Amino acid sequence: MQRCFYFAKADFPRFFELMRSFGPVHAPVAVSSASSSFMPVSGVDQINMQALRTILPPKKLFYPPQEPLVSFSEAGFEQTAPDTAPQVLFGVHPCDLAGLAILDKIFVAHPGDAHYMSRRQSTLVVGLSCLPDPNCFCTSMGCGGAPARGFDLFLTDLDKGYFVQVGTPAGLSLLSPAYEYIRPAKTEQTDQYKEFWQKREECFVSGFQGDNLPAIMDVESDHPMWQELGSRCLSCGNCVMVCPTCYCFDMVDTLSLSGTCGERCRQWDGCQFNGFAKVAGDFNFRATAVERYKFWFRHKLHGFEDPYGDKTCVGCGRCRVSCPADIDRIVEMVPRLAGK
Amino acid sequence: MSATLKSPLLPTCGTLRSIEEIAPDNFLYRFKFTDKTLSSCMPGQFVQLWLPGVGESAISICSGKTGDTLELLIRRVGRVTTSAAKMTEGQIVGLRGPFGRGFPVEHFRGKSVCMVAGGCGVAPLRGLWQYLLDHRCDYDRLTLVYGMRRPSDMLFAREFKEMAKRKDIDLLLSSENLPPEDKTVVPMQHGMVTAVLHSAPLAPDYQIAVCGPPVMYKFVVRDLRRRGVPDENMWLSLERHMKCGIGKCGHCFVSGKLSCQCGPVFRLDELKGLPEAIECE
Repeated sequence: MQRCFYFAKADFPRFFELMRSFGPVHAPVAVSSASSSFMPVSGVDQINMQALRTILPPKKLFYPPQEPLVSFSEAGFEQTAPDTAPQVLFGVHPCDLAGLAILDKIFVAHPGDAHYMSRRQSTLVVGLSCLPDPNCFCTSMGCGGAPARGFDLFLTDLDKGYFVQVGTPAGLSLLSPAYEYIRPAKTEQTDQYKEFWQKREECFVSGFQGDNLPAIMDVESDHPMWQELGSRCLSCGNCVMVCPTCYCFDMVDTLSLSGTCGERCRQWDGCQFNGFAKVAGDFNFRATAVERYKFWFRHKLHGFEDPYGDKTCVGCGRCRVSCPADIDRIVEMVPRLAGK
Repeated sequence: MSATLKSPLLPTCGTLRSIEEIAPDNFLYRFKFTDKTLSSCMPGQFVQLWLPGVGESAISICSGKTGDTLELLIRRVGRVTTSAAKMTEGQIVGLRGPFGRGFPVEHFRGKSVCMVAGGCGVAPLRGLWQYLLDHRCDYDRLTLVYGMRRPSDMLFAREFKEMAKRKDIDLLLSSENLPPEDKTVVPMQHGMVTAVLHSAPLAPDYQIAVCGPPVMYKFVVRDLRRRGVPDENMWLSLERHMKCGIGKCGHCFVSGKLSCQCGPVFRLDELKGLPEAIECE
């Protein structure tokens, strides 16, 4: 399988139409002077190609904030059919690709989640390179290099054109009608590609040596920093909602006005909320914000015995920029724990 | 094809066959079902009971064998369980399961087993004692310690009355309040569950199965350790609010372990270093 192609930036509108031929395209759209969101787009001019981190990660396309899974009526109950129409998710950066790979593992682990998997299978993922801002630290979390998997196509921005990596046969099929302007990459373009990813690594102004992170989390589980920062936590749950790898949910029934039919919906939930670990009898296993704060960071920076089983932070910086209490500065917290 | 994938969160149908209030606010339900998977329920495992339009609750299996009828003991305490108490025979519910790791009845084989129950924690242990009594010759000495707030809270009283006639299981019951006017169907001591546990015939090689309110565990564990029982012989059924039962929703994490997968029955030494396992507020 030919893996590397190149097309000129002037041909991007044609590439966009190629994506549209597969299905509706979701891409980052500027929604304010400082933020972007993945939204359906109908033209190239709507896409914010410079968008760094969208408000919500792309998980929302596969695992919506609220979705009915089961419908019921007097006749019984049945599974709702997930929307499996083909669609394209464009502009996914390396951190978010790594985040999707983690969610894949959670939702595909037996028993697989039918709704998540159906949408994942009907979506073509087209990645896009990016340059970090001071809140980015994907390299520290081991997912900042040039991606090699987790996408159908990945575009690296090479000044005058895009270097295209093909990740799957579906990605290659998309390109096949466009060989007129999407050509196999030449040596100089491959060299430029390598140069881009090398230089990109040098652009990071934040970061830390992440190799020892799980061990440091173990030995510093009682570090005074947890109390100091955790006691400022507002338990608002912003961090879990914007995190590309947070997957916790609640199940809620909604009933029609007649009371005879309704739906059983899945809703995003978060371990930072007070009632998350509450059980009958009003006992709470994580009653304080400090305990919940530590719990979340342990999942992110150390990992749990969940189907993924490893640390789940991908260094996107969303928690940092969305925390109203300013207590999610991982790039400063980790060196402090590490004694640097 | 993906469109035909079955959601693991889609329940199967169950029909309420009977409902009986066996103590104030405590109801014993019998549900008939057709999904054969549910027949494999083992003591200590749980199912998800769904009342369409109300919600779903994780409920422990409370019988030793399941066949085609599921027995569940549910205390009226929250939204779903209050609705459940109003159900009528013939009503349709959703059922999923069984989930989790129950009591290790195979590991208990040939050994003496002491069951320690507090409050409605007696329900999952009922599944265990029924199983052990059904396979009585496979086990050595059996002891059942059961503590409650007051004698009127006693669950499965009829069954206890019958068991009290048996010579092959020791019953030790206690009540925190023991007013003289309250009649008890079996002899009962005054005090906490730990008080009767103190007088229970126990040896360090006993296997101990514990289920009760979260606050009970640290006292029971402390007393068992004092009596020389090693951590690897203590099996605790931990209470968590499982929303999915399949390791996805994240609600039942005990530190980093999913209770619905690794538990709800844990061997005590598996909980070492997990600060939130038995401590709560």
